[in-house]
Amino acid sequence: MKNYSLRTSLYFILPALVIILAINIFPIIYAVWISFQNWSLAYVRPPQYTGFYNYEDALFFDDRFINAVFVSLKFVFLAVLIEFILGFSLAFLFNQKLKALNFLRVVSLTPIMVMPVVSGLIWFYMFNENFGVLTYLVTLLGFDKPGWLTDPDIALFSIVLADVWQWTPFVMLIFFAALQSLPEYVYEAAKMDGLNKIQIFFRITLPLLKPAIWIVLILRIIDSFKMLELILMMTKGGPGGYTEVLPWYLYTTGFITLDIGYGASMAVMMLILVTILSQFFVKKIEGKN
Amino acid sequence: MSLVSIKKNIFKDYLLVLLALVFVGFCLFPIYIMITTSFKSEKDIFAWEHVWFFKPTIQSVYNAFFIFGGKSVASFILNSLITTFTSTLLAVLFGAMAAYGFSRYKFKGSKHIAFYILSTRFAPPVAFIIPIYLMVNFFNLLDTHFTLIIIYTSMNLSLSIWILRGYFNEIPIEIEEAAYIDGYTRVEIFWKVCIPLIKPGLITTAILCSIFSWNEFLFAVILTQRDASTIPVYLASFQDSMGLAWGEFMAVGAMAVMPILIFTIILQKHLVRGLTFGAIR
Repeated sequence: MKNYSLRTSLYFILPALVIILAINIFPIIYAVWISFQNWSLAYVRPPQYTGFYNYEDALFFDDRFINAVFVSLKFVFLAVLIEFILGFSLAFLFNQKLKALNFLRVVSLTPIMVMPVVSGLIWFYMFNENFGVLTYLVTLLGFDKPGWLTDPDIALFSIVLADVWQWTPFVMLIFFAALQSLPEYVYEAAKMDGLNKIQIFFRITLPLLKPAIWIVLILRIIDSFKMLELILMMTKGGPGGYTEVLPWYLYTTGFITLDIGYGASMAVMMLILVTILSQFFVKKIEGKN
Repeated sequence: MSLVSIKKNIFKDYLLVLLALVFVGFCLFPIYIMITTSFKSEKDIFAWEHVWFFKPTIQSVYNAFFIFGGKSVASFILNSLITTFTSTLLAVLFGAMAAYGFSRYKFKGSKHIAFYILSTRFAPPVAFIIPIYLMVNFFNLLDTHFTLIIIYTSMNLSLSIWILRGYFNEIPIEIEEAAYIDGYTRVEIFWKVCIPLIKPGLITTAILCSIFSWNEFLFAVILTQRDASTIPVYLASFQDSMGLAWGEFMAVGAMAVMPILIFTIILQKHLVRGLTFGAIR
């Protein structure tokens, strides 16, 4: 069909392109510009060009920024590690041919759909030190009341627990779908060749699951890196900055202390990091299609 | 098969189901707590020893919807519905059009543009929010439905284009050529031939867009004050004074979660391809 011209396809693409340019592309450029300014909404003075000052400030002089980066890394590492291990094993469990499991698998997807603000709300209630059910259950086991969200040693783990609750089913779902799509004949051939179960797992299943493993890792790393709602609802970065992840620090800089120039410089650094990660992801699925 | 090995298998099955039940229990426990708390009396909610068995009362639910929030709860729900519905519709419509364009006309670098568009989906909203706030403020559009709708549409477009492009790529070009010979115009081919063929893709995309828009919090809390605020904003706005009204919050929370929950459990088989951006079918 000869009239698949550039012009006709442009008509189809145009509305989407205009919206994406205005709401996605332009703000990024604007953010870069803001990040070079000394600009605070707390004062009525015009923005002032300061070059890379905001970046230098963040990277070399701001302990809070460095702390936020490390807290974020710790959170992402812990949450993704636990979600991965649990989700991966559970996918194998649910992959067994049993009717009852089918129903249980569908029901277990529930947390994925829960609004993050509501998850924060529920976990905050369950973590309450005076009437929270988790505190009560832990004391029943003979432990002292844990300061779920107030003890510096525990607070981040509590947030991780809530995140694990919400996203383990997602990891399980992806691995389950991947397992279901593995071709039966490969396994039959492997059995004929006399491979035992462990050999089948390491030589056949694991290599075939590689794309799914990449997808899970990158999607979960990027998503948990952006997580803001649980912090907002439960700790607001406390106690003493122990749960202050990067998105939360950025949020408070931009909208509580109103230092938008500085906030924008952190936003740009965050975008660069996520772009590198997502390009990696895109390469992995590009290879697949 | 010997009797021993049958017994062994049954034992293994029970063990598997038991493990699965533990996991499901973990997944449902917080939701169970949310729902029961919204039906508990104040005394039971604040009891140190957790009250497992209680006489249900609708006092909290009643308070949440008729006394406490009064008119505002209903208006927040309405705002959520308007914003979610409209932005999903637009994202699927414009997304399908753009996906068709990208799929059917392979100009140099069209694939890269599509990849670039997808990668905007990964950008943390918190990194966009400062410039977007300034832009919206500049155009005097704070606290309007239009603002949230256009932003959610844009955020969802990347996903929508990416997923639907995969579906369009699967339509054999011969079908379109046949329609063309039958005298269909380009626009007719798109609407009458291609769109019906990618219906599962449209459902998947619509579910994911609705989940995003319904649950989105950051843009909503920064860009709206009251008139256009959605449910998550309402829930977060009371966070500071939350010590008081747990039953009421849980009731609103449950109500905020239920529509998406029911919707997606019913349509869950469409989820995987969308959640993995088409990487796993």
